[in-house]
Amino acid sequence: MVSVSEVDLSVDVGGLHLRRPTLMASGCYGSGEEFALLAEPAGIGAIVLKSLTKEPRVGNPMPRLVHTPSGMLNAIGLANPGVDWYLEHEAVKLSSLPYAIVGSVAGFSVDEYRYVCERLAERSEIAAIELNVSCPNVASEGETFACDPELTARVVRAARATTRKPLIVKLSPNVTDITEVARGAEAAGADALAIVNTVRGMAIDVETWRPRLGNGAGGLSGPAIRPIAVLAVYEVARAVRVPIVGQGGIETLFDALEFFLAGASAIAIGTANFGDPRVPERIVTGLAEYLAERGLNSMSEIVGKAQPSRAERTWGATG
Amino acid sequence: MPRVLLDYIRYNGSGGKRVQAFLADFYKNLEKKQAVQTIGRGRVHVVAVTDRKEAAPGIIVLGLFAPELAAVTRPGQFVMAMPPCNGAAAVALGVYQACADRIALLFFVTGRRTRGLAMLVPGDTLELFGPLGNGFILDGLRDVAIVAGGVGIASVLLPAIQLRRCGARVRLFYGARTAQRLVERERFAEAGCEIVAATQDGSEGVRGYVTDALRAAKRPEHVLACGPTPMLRATAEIAAEWNVSAQLALEETFGCGVGACWGCVVPIAQSAGQAPPFPRRHDGVVYARICREGPVFRAGDLRW
Ligand SMILES: Cc1cc2nc3c(=O)[nH]c(=O)nc-3n(C[C@H](O)[C@H](O)[C@H](O)COP(=O)(O)O)c2cc1C
Ligand code: FES
Repeated sequence: MVSVSEVDLSVDVGGLHLRRPTLMASGCYGSGEEFALLAEPAGIGAIVLKSLTKEPRVGNPMPRLVHTPSGMLNAIGLANPGVDWYLEHEAVKLSSLPYAIVGSVAGFSVDEYRYVCERLAERSEIAAIELNVSCPNVASEGETFACDPELTARVVRAARATTRKPLIVKLSPNVTDITEVARGAEAAGADALAIVNTVRGMAIDVETWRPRLGNGAGGLSGPAIRPIAVLAVYEVARAVRVPIVGQGGIETLFDALEFFLAGASAIAIGTANFGDPRVPERIVTGLAEYLAERGLNSMSEIVGKAQPSRAERTWGATG
Repeated sequence: MPRVLLDYIRYNGSGGKRVQAFLADFYKNLEKKQAVQTIGRGRVHVVAVTDRKEAAPGIIVLGLFAPELAAVTRPGQFVMAMPPCNGAAAVALGVYQACADRIALLFFVTGRRTRGLAMLVPGDTLELFGPLGNGFILDGLRDVAIVAGGVGIASVLLPAIQLRRCGARVRLFYGARTAQRLVERERFAEAGCEIVAATQDGSEGVRGYVTDALRAAKRPEHVLACGPTPMLRATAEIAAEWNVSAQLALEETFGCGVGACWGCVVPIAQSAGQAPPFPRRHDGVVYARICREGPVFRAGDLRW
């Protein structure tokens, strides 16, 4: 038996050292202060900030949210004050917090990504940088970056050149083969991958005969996409060596465990915070108990354990 | 008062020592020019359902034993109620009643989340957080028209009662699809409000929109309104024609309810007191979060 206090929940996500394997997903947790009085910091390993772009963006027309069975559609449209304004006015709130802060970067060209990365790289408050190449809500003159392995690789190379901070690349599930994009990102210098962003979707109002979202299409999050995300993590974990931040519909300890077992070193919690701000704390507490009960004392003992062993794999291939 | 303190009181109540300690801390940090640590114990309340009433088919009034919330909730504020089902975000509900140790919520059953809440019975517990948002400003109002449409009625009983207590004249313009859905009029009558009803099918009161009834009425000194957006727009127009000020409580689909997700914005004038300190658009408009900077806005500030 291992006692709960002996369990070490710390993880290393491509150089980002976290005391707990729980990140708050980008766009769902603001800068953390919004939830500060509702949630225990003990559940938070890191907060991923809302994606920042070079220029300020007002975002999409309303409505931006629709609740759907087991989840929600959002089309916020990367509303943000721009990286310069954010760093000047808001970043001061980010120092001396009991968890790490990850900056998230979005853009419409390789140059924009490079600029925002440079600005974030200068700041000591920012422990790591996440590249959001997969926002479904801005359809930048065609495709999101993550749909094109070559474009993704170019963005990652440009970002890599600006910083030595851990670089996490967040991928879209809206592709034919996510492992191909994942390999490309790894080869271009990603330290870790965040898998997955939202799944494209739509809801239609039967009174007005129009899409419910102001933007038309949106990104589906919440438990509705969990199996999609688990499979993506499972497949990517076999294709790359870099650690994975699994996300998509995590609400409970058991959901989180599925991702760890599939091969994620850490998880991110987004939409579930809207249902109950105590979710992260519950998962962290539950995780320590789960490991202790099984006589395990570190996260590495469960990560990827759902993957078939070498023997099984050979059998699968021949059978 | 510093914004963080308002937020703190909103979550923790205004009572005594805790606020003093927080203030001391706040000013100490301010001197050191450090980030204010507002991290504290969660404000998720676990409350008991004391009574449940179906005021009309699909319209539920839930009574809750919640002394802390009852003590601090101001008219126009809302709570985020967590439906007892998985995979569901909390539902933003205007606080319908708050007195002594009890609050009540009134809502329409429209989907899975509200159906979950509607299944609660006395003795069950409900988890919620709040009160959230900035309420109505009622000081000094003497003659007020309150306009409510549909589920908007849930947010206007508290201001009506408070205004009546201060001796103001209150006229309620209340619209619904049918007479059957004009629920809870007794509460307003008890409080001493004059009631003008409007139904779309003409089954009671004026036939048509509640704003038609408002337009036909004598000019009040001030207007409060809560209801669907078209009703609020029409109300704002009428108030502008009358040249009286109006406060509108906006309805919108919320995600987080606390200002984190930017899913609930409305364009307002950058000169508005509530405008968030965000970069301005060239045309002098800025997006405010309904859940955080609202849900009550002055009609004249909105740029929709
Ligand atoms: C309202 C909302 C806003 C989001 N904004 C962003 C964003 O700005 N950048 C980003 O990389 N992901 C964004 N996401 C995606 C989440 O970070 C997360 O990857 C996704 O929602 C799946 O996780 P979940 O099911 O736990 O929410 C957003 C999601 C939601 C629901
Ligand atoms: S609902 Fe999230 S910001 Fe208002």
